[in-house]
Parts: sequence; C-alpha cells; structure tokens
Amino acid sequence: MTTLWQRAGHAALVLPLLLFLGLFFVWPLVTVLDQAVSDPVVSRHLPATSAASAAWDRSSAPPAEMRQALVRDLRAIDDDQIMGDLVRRLNSAQPGFRTLMKKTVTAARDSSGDLDLGEVDARWRDTAFWRAIAEATNPYTDRNLLAAIDLQRDRAGAIAAIPEGESANRAILLRTFLVASTVTLATGLIGLPYAMLVASATGWRRQLLLAAVLLPLWTSLLVRTTAWYILLQDQGLINSALSALGLIGKPLPLLFNRTGVIASGALLVFMAALGYYITPALIGGPKDQMISSVIAFYATGSANWGMAGALGIVLLAATLVLYGIYGRLSATNTRG
Amino acid sequence: MLRVSRFIFGAATVLFLLAPLIAILPLAFTSGSMLTYPITSVSLRWFEELATADAWHRSIVNSLIVGAGTTVLATVLGTLAALALRRRVMFHATLRTLFLLPMVVPAVVLGIGLQILLARLGLANTYVAVIVAHTVLAVPFVLVSVSASLDGIDPQVERAAASLGAAPARVYLLVTLPLTMPGILSGAALAFATSLDEVVLTLFVAGPNQLTLARQMFSSIRENISPVIVAAAFIFIVGTVAIGGLLAAVRQRSMRTSAIP
Amino acid sequence: MAIPRIRIDQVSKSFGPVQVIKNLSLDIERGEFVSLLGPSGSGKTTLLMLLAGFEQPSAGSILLDGSRIDHLPPHRRAMGVVFQNYALFPHMSVADNVAFPLKMRGMGRPEIESRVKRALDTVQLAAMRDRRPAQLSGGQQQRVALARALVFEPAVVLMDEPLGALDKQLREQMQLDIRELHKRLELTVVFVTHDQSEALTMSDRIAVFNQGLIEQIGSPRDIYDHPRTRFVAEFIGETNLLHGTVKDHYQDGTTIELDTSRHLTVPRIDASAGASVLVSVRPERIQLGPASVAAQNMLPTRVVDCVYQGDHLRVQLDEAAFGLVARLDRRSAEWPAGADVVAHFAPEDCWVVAA
Repeated sequence: MTTLWQRAGHAALVLPLLLFLGLFFVWPLVTVLDQAVSDPVVSRHLPATSAASAAWDRSSAPPAEMRQALVRDLRAIDDDQIMGDLVRRLNSAQPGFRTLMKKTVTAARDSSGDLDLGEVDARWRDTAFWRAIAEATNPYTDRNLLAAIDLQRDRAGAIAAIPEGESANRAILLRTFLVASTVTLATGLIGLPYAMLVASATGWRRQLLLAAVLLPLWTSLLVRTTAWYILLQDQGLINSALSALGLIGKPLPLLFNRTGVIASGALLVFMAALGYYITPALIGGPKDQMISSVIAFYATGSANWGMAGALGIVLLAATLVLYGIYGRLSATNTRG
Repeated sequence: MLRVSRFIFGAATVLFLLAPLIAILPLAFTSGSMLTYPITSVSLRWFEELATADAWHRSIVNSLIVGAGTTVLATVLGTLAALALRRRVMFHATLRTLFLLPMVVPAVVLGIGLQILLARLGLANTYVAVIVAHTVLAVPFVLVSVSASLDGIDPQVERAAASLGAAPARVYLLVTLPLTMPGILSGAALAFATSLDEVVLTLFVAGPNQLTLARQMFSSIRENISPVIVAAAFIFIVGTVAIGGLLAAVRQRSMRTSAIP
Repeated sequence: MAIPRIRIDQVSKSFGPVQVIKNLSLDIERGEFVSLLGPSGSGKTTLLMLLAGFEQPSAGSILLDGSRIDHLPPHRRAMGVVFQNYALFPHMSVADNVAFPLKMRGMGRPEIESRVKRALDTVQLAAMRDRRPAQLSGGQQQRVALARALVFEPAVVLMDEPLGALDKQLREQMQLDIRELHKRLELTVVFVTHDQSEALTMSDRIAVFNQGLIEQIGSPRDIYDHPRTRFVAEFIGETNLLHGTVKDHYQDGTTIELDTSRHLTVPRIDASAGASVLVSVRPERIQLGPASVAAQNMLPTRVVDCVYQGDHLRVQLDEAAFGLVARLDRRSAEWPAGADVVAHFAPEDCWVVAA
C-alpha cells in the first residue's frame, strides 16, 4: 500500500522537530559538556609553545626551542584580558606565575630577538614552572569534573581528595539526592494509600479526591511554592494557627529550612526533584541549597562555566541513568 | 475504625494538597501590604497594580506573547512528529526517547547551554530566544498528548475512508485530523501552561525586556514580597483552572462521540 | 465466455518469512456471492485485503473486469468494503457517514441527499440519520456500514466477517437481509467468514481455505455432500470419518473394509484395491434400529449417550460402531444409555474422501 515515496514523505515529518531539538536541545547540552572539559587558554594563546612542548620529556631542562617559542608567543599577545586569563590558569597550577609573568612580559616587550629567560627571573630555571605550562597545553582537562566530586590531581598527577572544608560539592550532591529521596519516599507513603482511596471512592467524593491531586499538579509550580512560602512564614498561617491553639510559644522556623522544602516538594517525583531549582532557591536556607542552585551560581554568579558544566554533567548523567532505569522498568511492565 | 482512619487520611491529604492554594487566595484581596492574616479590609488595589504597574503590566504582555509563540511552535512541531512516529519508521523508539528527554533533563543545565548558544547565534535578549527555550520544554507534552490521541484512532476507520474513495491527503484532513483534534488541543493547552509557568530557562535566556510574568514573580519573591504576587498567583490559578476545565469539557465531548459500544 | 468480474491469478502473499497465501487462483463471476470460508490464519482475510488494495500481492495479479488492478491504491478501486468492526466515522452522523463516498466522488448536494435517503431506507435506518455511531446498537451500526458500502453502487462488495459481533438471532436475520440485497441489487459479493453454517446459508459458491490454499470450491451442496478432502469434510458441518481400505468393486458399489469383521458398501469409486480411504457419514444420515433391522450398512453397537438438543437428538455410540455420532429427529424415542442398537445407513449416505 505505501510506496517508497509515501514512506519517505511520512518519515520526513519527523525532521522539523529533529532539527529543532538537535539545534536547541542537543547542541546546548553538548556545549555544557564542552565547557566542562575544555581548557583552551594555553593551547590557543601560546600556540608555538604548545607545539614545542610536545617534544619535551617533562623532566630535563626544556629545549631552547621551547623557551624562545614562549617569548615569541608572549610578545604576540596584546589583549590584557587574554593575558589575565592565561596568568590565572597557570597560577592555579603553579603559584608564583602572576609575578613571574608580569616580569617576563615586560622583559619580552622591551627587547627583541632571543631572550635568556633564566636571566629575566631565576624561576625559569625551575622545571616545575615549565611543566605547569606543558601540562596546560592540553585543550581538554578533567579538573572540573574531578572538582565536581571534590577530587583533584596532586603534584604527582594522581587523583586525590580536595582538603576538608575547601569544596563542598560532594556534600551538596549528597544532600540533593537525600532530599530527592525523602521527597519520593514521602510521596510514595502518601500517594499509594491515597490512590487506593481514590480507586474505591465513587461519585462526588472521587471527583474531589482527583481534583485535589490534579489542581496542584496543574497550577504553576511557582504559584504553589509562593503559597508554601506564605504559609510557612513566621507570621504565616501555620504558625499563627499553632500559636493561637497554644501549641507553641514562639513561631516555628518552618521557612528557610529543610522541613519546608520537603513538605512542599512532596508533591513531585524524584527525577523532577533532582533538577529542582526554584523551590530550594526560594524556600531553602543556605544549608539547603541543592545542586541546581550551585550550578546556577557558578554560571551566572561567578562565570565559572567549567564548574557549572561539570556539576551539570554529574546531574545530567544521574538523571539519564535514572531515565534509563525508568524506561527499562516501564517497558517490562507493559510487556508483562 | 478503618472507615474513620480512611476518612481522616483522605481529608488530611486533600487538605495538604489544596491548603496552600486556597489559603493564600484571599490574601490577594487584602488592603494591607503584609501577607498575613487576619485580613482587616478588602480591596482590589493589588489587581490594579498588576494591571497598571509598568513592570507587571509588561510581564503579563510578555507572557502572552511568549506563550502564544510557544504554543504555536510546539504544537506544530509536536503534532508533525507524533504523526511521523505513528508508523514504525527507522529508529522510532530512539527518536521518541530523544523527543521526550527535555521533560527529564535538569533545566539549569539546559539553561546554561542555551544561553551560550543563543548568544552565539545573535539571538540574546529577543522574544525568539525565550519562545525557543519554552518550546523545547513544551514539545514533549504536545507529543505525548497527540500520540495518545492518534493511538486511540482505529486504523480500520482510516482504511474505510480510503476504500470509500478518499485519497491519503483527504483521509488525513477529513478523518485523522478531526479525530486527533482533542489531543492537539490538550497539547496546545499544556504547551501554553508550560510556557506560563516556566522560570528556570527564562532566568537564563530572557533579557530585561522579555521578562515573563513567572520570571517577574520570581524576582519579586526574592526581592520584595508583597500581596501583588498573590494577586498574580490568583490569576494563575484561575487561568489554570479555566484551561483545565476547558480540557475536561473537550475530553467529555470527544468521549461521547467516539466511543464504540 | 464472459470475462469474470474478478480474476485472482496465481497470487501469493508473504509477510516476511511467512507465506500466508500460496499461489492461489480464483474466478468470481458477475453477480455471484462467494464466501471465503476457513479457520483463522488460513489466508481468507488476507485475500480480501489484497482485493481491497490494503496489501499488495507478493506475486501474481488481480484483475477486475479484465484489467489489472493490483497496482491501484484502495481509493481508486471502487469496491465497497464492510469491516468486521464496522469502522464507522465516529465524528460524523449516520447520514454523513453514508454520504461520504458520494462526496468523495464529487456528487452534488441534492443527488447525495436522495441517494443517502434511499440507502438508509433500504436498511431501515432513516430515523437514525442524525445520530452518531456511538449512539447506535451493534446491529444498527452494521446496517449503516452496509448502507455506506452500497450507496455508491460499487462493482464489487467485500465483507470481512461483518456479522461476527452480533448475537445469533440478529445474525441470522442479517444473513437473510444481505442475501436479499445481493439478489435485488445484483451485486458481486466476496464474503469472508469462519462460520460454515453462515457460508452455507448465504453463498452461491464457497471457497474453503486451509493454510493459504483453497482446498475446495463449489456450491454449498457440493461442499457439504461431497467434500473432497478430510479438512473440508471436518470443517463443514459435523461428520463421522471412518478409516478403511478398498476391498472389492461391484457394478454399482465398492466394499470398504473397516477391519477384519466390519465393512461398508459405498457408491462405486475409482480406486485400486488396497487403497486407503476415509468414509464420511453425516450424523443425520445414520439411523438406529433394533437388532432385527436389515440394511446394506449395519453396525451393531451400544448407546453411550443420548442428549436432547432442542431440534434434534444427539446419540453417541460406542467403539463397536467406531464412536459414531448420530443425529435423530427430535420426535424419535430417546434411547437409554447402554441400550443395544444397530446403526444403519445406505451406501448413498456414505461419501469417500481421499485419505
């Protein structure tokens, strides 16, 4: 019945959405991935040095070719912003680059032809500084991904934990999962008996029970959160009611803490809860920030796209794994 | 004993679900500027502020513009894809999974990527940017809704139309589309509702001139909470209930006409 | 010789590795009512789909009035199709459903109006014209589907088990109605069914399908009285099958040996001595009598069971008569279980089927 033409035309119907999502969904996600692992500062702005460093064995003194390549590259940079980025990147790997670079750049610009870097500053005789440059020439890095789970590479290049107190990502990720789990559990505990109740109800009672579930689902998430905010305030309804009943002396701190977050989030499921941004942002306190807020902070607050991307990838990966499990479960359910 | 505890459980859950919404609605009519009970006197000043204050007024208009654009774009793309995925085209399971992924992916991650991409495309701070972002989120809803509707169509009915002399295009127009209309309309309504509610992506891609109502509410809550927010919430709720009611009515009508005894 | 209305010429159809129709050929004349009869999966519905154009043959061709149509899409074949579940347009009224094929043919409004009215009158549903299909009963929907398929006066009407979902009484009434319509409008009908009594009631000819092939095609009487294969014998009506070997031939009969002590006389057949055969004896042809009875075919036996079925008595006999089942007139006396009796029947009541 269907000719090849008809079948091709039919399949072509899928193209508009495919192209649209390819451009505005897949590509942004890939961009985030790219941001998380890319580290192009040195490879892009010290090209000759990068090329030369490929031949170096990283242990003996760097060859003259590499040294002069560095001088040439430094002379070629005229944008202060780029220089700043470069210095920051190198300094984070090997402290001391800030002052070293300043000195060296001045020396390079004030001269022409070959330059003996050892004379400019003694630090250039220390291979550690050269090694830092060589390692930074890799346009890709795992620094951000490691940092996302509180790990870093030590001097020897092995993976080690970031010292206590310096990075809290793991704690936040854990907290995110914990809150999401609690929300899911609460939802299950309430939802299952409720569903049984709805199934056995009839007439107007059933309609009411269903409406009670569907209305919040429908109503804007923001609205609902606002509503919870107002209710949970110190002078909000819940506290006023409780104090009027004489049950409490001073207002319970329901807002800006865990109870509020869980109570309001209990209406949603785990996957959505994972990516939760709004509710913790508005209702949670500083100790209740979930990973989405941290990601947003890195992105919009401190423009650290690398960290934002890396954390995002961890979250995305977890979500996709769950989605896969969900897909497997629902497939077996429908077949069985 | 069981009956009593069931009743209490049911009542408590209903209360838990509806209380926040019902509790705050009256506050939209308070004449005071604090969001506390008791309400001493009533007034419509907050609704007036919504309608007249520049920021709010503009945000409502923006929401309508973005909402309309998203609805049209998402409905068209989603409906076409649903029609395509009806037959076993190549990779149709993979495609369907891909098309539904935006529902699941954390919005923050997508927001970052979109912001970068849209800036590169020169679309930063435009309505197009916000509409595109909202459409990505809304399309899965349209797809699911229209697909469900298409699945409910008996393929024999389309064959019957063909046997009676209708060429494939006419079968689509006269039989398939009318029977899918409830699904398309639900999908469109869901797309609009999604756009209306969307805050996270909007935070990343909207410029100062494209702030939607939801975005405006978000800032207000953060910065200076006042009853005007509740007035906006009131409109949201009423609007949502209206859309929900409309959908329920449409579904009732379609069930009556297409049920086969 | 007139060109047949439909010619199915060596058609085969496979779905992947499964061959559903195997090199089938069939001619259907103008105005004939042909039933495609067989169990599920035998290929009869697939053949109908090939005729309608919803599937393409893997090999062979289909001709309508002499010209090939197998490359034509369904909407160009001008055949009326009545589907198993009626397939009415749920979003249109009854009148609009029936008007649909006429609209597709670009007919004018007044013409459509009068034809629809006539069609609905024919199936006695004029009063329902503004209702939606969901508001009609199964039988009413069936009649609308019929009216819709006939309103544009197609050359051929294809019906795919249209009466399957109806209750017995309604079904039998509709069988007569359809048969009457067929005669009056001089339609060529291809009717798919798995119900052999339905096929026997309605058809001019029956094609019995088994696993993609037509085992036998003939008039209802032919098929019932003279089944050519075991499958046909067992599928049509109830029958008793007895194994035997050809023993002797006479002038107008043949002896079939059932075992060392029992044999049957059947009408003369063309088979060599020692050939293995199946003898089919319809239950209603078997009579039961006392030991004193004399007939050409006698099998002394004992009654196992005698059940009243409303319009007949069903008697189960024991192994002495090879477990034969007999059908007696309801007015006959009931035989008690265990009674000694002789089952007897004439040679003409036997029919030899190839083993």
